[in-house]
Amino acid sequence: MGNLFSVLNSASQSLQAFEQAIDVTQNNVTNANSPGYADQVPQMLSQDFESDTGVNAGGVKEVTQDTRNTYADTAVQQQLSLQGMYQQLQTTLAPLQSVFDVSSNSAIPSALNQLFQSFSAWSSQPTNTNYQAAVIDAAQQVGSAFQQAAVQLGQIQTSTTDDIQTTVTQINQDAAAIQSYNQQVGQMPQPDAGMSAQLESTLENLSSLANIQVLQGNGGTVTVLLGGQTALVEGTQVNTIQAVNNIASNAGNPGAAPNISIEDSNGNDITGQITGGGLAGLLSVRNNLLPSLIGGGQQVGGLNTLAQGLADSVNNVLEQGSTTSTPPYQAGSALFTYNSASPSGIAGSLAVSSTITGSQLAAADVGPPFVANGAALTLAGLDSTSPGPVDGQGFTQYFASLTSTVGNAVNNANTQATAQSQLVAQAQSLQQQVSGVSLDEEAIRLVQLQSSYDAASKVVTVIDDTLQSLIAMVPT
Amino acid sequence: MENATEYGDARQCLDAARASMRRVKRLLSQPSLEAADESATLLRDVEIQLGCVAAILRQSGSRPDIQIRAGVEELQSEVAVLATFFSGADKMLTGWLDAVRTRRGGYTDRGQAAPLMLVRKLSVEG
Repeated sequence: MGNLFSVLNSASQSLQAFEQAIDVTQNNVTNANSPGYADQVPQMLSQDFESDTGVNAGGVKEVTQDTRNTYADTAVQQQLSLQGMYQQLQTTLAPLQSVFDVSSNSAIPSALNQLFQSFSAWSSQPTNTNYQAAVIDAAQQVGSAFQQAAVQLGQIQTSTTDDIQTTVTQINQDAAAIQSYNQQVGQMPQPDAGMSAQLESTLENLSSLANIQVLQGNGGTVTVLLGGQTALVEGTQVNTIQAVNNIASNAGNPGAAPNISIEDSNGNDITGQITGGGLAGLLSVRNNLLPSLIGGGQQVGGLNTLAQGLADSVNNVLEQGSTTSTPPYQAGSALFTYNSASPSGIAGSLAVSSTITGSQLAAADVGPPFVANGAALTLAGLDSTSPGPVDGQGFTQYFASLTSTVGNAVNNANTQATAQSQLVAQAQSLQQQVSGVSLDEEAIRLVQLQSSYDAASKVVTVIDDTLQSLIAMVPT
Repeated sequence: MENATEYGDARQCLDAARASMRRVKRLLSQPSLEAADESATLLRDVEIQLGCVAAILRQSGSRPDIQIRAGVEELQSEVAVLATFFSGADKMLTGWLDAVRTRRGGYTDRGQAAPLMLVRKLSVEG
């Protein structure tokens, strides 16, 4: 049997436990709206009876239980990571749409249309100086349109690179905040709800920037992995990442911008591990989509391919034609010039030859048979020849395919971003619902929800099929 | 459920389908069983409403109609969002259930989450 001292000690501890429980409740009320805050449930546990001293017999001990569900947190982080990626794609792709506009009013298709119209008019009167001047003027418009598009794409490339640097800085700042949390939590006797909420908020922000995995360590510390492999924060150690130009990526492609790589603190390339968050969206645009349009890494870029295809095709017809209608035939001059030393800079350097005059435009095809306006007619029909001069496509058709690539990327980003916003809301709502319920209750709720969604999803498939049929029934 | 005969023409059917779709989008922002069930019912309404559009168009013959085309295209993009949402939700819930299963019943010999037995507990005394 315990002595009087042990009974008093036990009673005193019980009072402390109840006081602590009141504090926890007060804390819940105060932090109800704090981002990342999970309710702390005070639990009263009976203390083990210590037979040798009698201390704590019959007393209660308060143990604060964090109702945060680890998978719920992970699900929210994963959805935030995907949302971050698609929202970033939406933002980064938006300015590309002004360059690759589907409407015929956009600069390149409009200039191409004018050029082929001028060829057509010139073919009707090959010696008409006004028509010759109109061809040169239209060609200058084409050159300007390509140069302007190249400048705009270059600016987008630069701003995307800057955004990658900014995002990497934010990731490193969040990593430093988590490292600081780990340092503090190691010195605390018990978990602090406020700090935990702060950590959760930082982790959610980090999730929107990159795909991370969070592992719970000893003493409440967390380890954060990037892409499941690279430790960003490990206990009290932070391993910063950096964005660098991948010099080897554009070897053999002079003038092309190098791709951007993400390196860990040891200089290892971890770009392939970044598959989510805003950083993944930026890297995808910077290293894949933009090079496919304006060149970069090992790619020449569709806009450069188009500019070169147009210039070479037009120049070839003119140089094989004749400026005179009687022998000796005089070969025509090239209309377009570009910097062939830099395949990725062709669109940016496309221009009309500074020395060309109207009389140097060869309208005649020397044949045989000789046709006085044969070359001009060939030029007028160049865009509609089959197979076309650029990868088997006509110039406007090829530009439309580039526009379609950008349009599809934008549409996909919009669809995914909208769906992800709803999925984030779902994950956050479920996170709130499962706090404090038993595993069985949680599982039942999830199974029921999954089967309801499955039923709805099947109807969506049928609706999609019906819409496909309707589209076919209502032509444009 | 509204009946097909209540709609005068294809545009009205389409408007009704779009209104139902808007309600589905609102409902699906909350992960409740009731919202999911109501969404499924509304989607079946959309299916019928679009069936009406198809029937009317088939009867009147296909001809260009910018308004109907735009309405159908708008619904197509909303359906794409829904399909993406359901696919993402399924992935998320499957992962979540796996996590619950492993915490509740551990792993099978093959390293997969143990099947969950959600049955009423029976307590026998005496």
